[in-house]
Amino acid sequence: MATPHATLDRLRIERVVWTMDTRLQDLPRRSRIARRRELRDNLRAAAEDVGVGRAVDQLGDLRILAAGYLAAEYGELSRRPSWTAAAVTIFLVEAVMTLLDYATRAAFDAGITTTTPHATGTFHWTGVPYLISDGTFTYLDGTHTSDGGAWTPLVYVLMFAGAFTAGRMWRLISAWRRQRHQTPLAVAEAEKEKSGGRA
Amino acid sequence: MAPTHDPQLLKGVLSLLLLRLLAERESYGYDIVQRLRALGLSDISEGSVYPALARLEREGRVQTRLVASRSGPARKYYRPTAAGTRALAEGTTSWLSLVAVVHPVLVRRPPDPPTSPEDT
Repeated sequence: MATPHATLDRLRIERVVWTMDTRLQDLPRRSRIARRRELRDNLRAAAEDVGVGRAVDQLGDLRILAAGYLAAEYGELSRRPSWTAAAVTIFLVEAVMTLLDYATRAAFDAGITTTTPHATGTFHWTGVPYLISDGTFTYLDGTHTSDGGAWTPLVYVLMFAGAFTAGRMWRLISAWRRQRHQTPLAVAEAEKEKSGGRA
Repeated sequence: MAPTHDPQLLKGVLSLLLLRLLAERESYGYDIVQRLRALGLSDISEGSVYPALARLEREGRVQTRLVASRSGPARKYYRPTAAGTRALAEGTTSWLSLVAVVHPVLVRRPPDPPTSPEDT
């Protein structure tokens, strides 16, 4: 059974490994896992040699180490993929569309209730060209429920194309292609990783 | 403690050193850090060696294999590819020719410092 000391040491190593992992989110998954395993193994070897505290210190600034790994994968000056930028783009498109949806529905409703405060009946809303499909507002004594008014496929195309562009995801495609043409030894290693062992 | 070797100078030749050491004997990451330290680069950071190995691997200059380890998961060993061996030969030639030019200049006896008219 592991002693509390050994458990604590392992936890310290794991903390460093997973901190690095979060900083390497922009690497392709397989490459990130390989780096994580290698770092864990090197840290364990160093810990056996000089103790965990010193092994972790010898790594230096984790941000610099992560930047080094990213530069090794994508080159020093090339623009790297960014999951954060992609997520922010998706969020922005969602936010803009939600606002647009809300504003146009509110304007349609105001148009109806201003002219007929106690409106009763069904009204057709044309939506927003290309972005929001048409819908139906059903009024009963000035209050309404609505059907339809979904975002069109174009919105989702814009959302994901925007995320792809803002996140520079084409860099990941080239990295994946490169991995497909790796050396036989590296392929064997990847298969070994897939077949067993801990992540 | 101030580093004993300029990291910028070292950065330029680190790949060559790694290729040379790996050509002598295949190694895993921490092992090669220890070998560099044993050579006298006692202040070399692991944070500069590991990405350098990753870069060499991406460039196809080293290949890797996993070797079972008693202390934990399989260990990743690096060794030069044919391209790496070629790069080592070219880099060594280039480095030696640079040293042949730079070294004699730097070891010359420095000139006497200029004296101002007031001193004379």
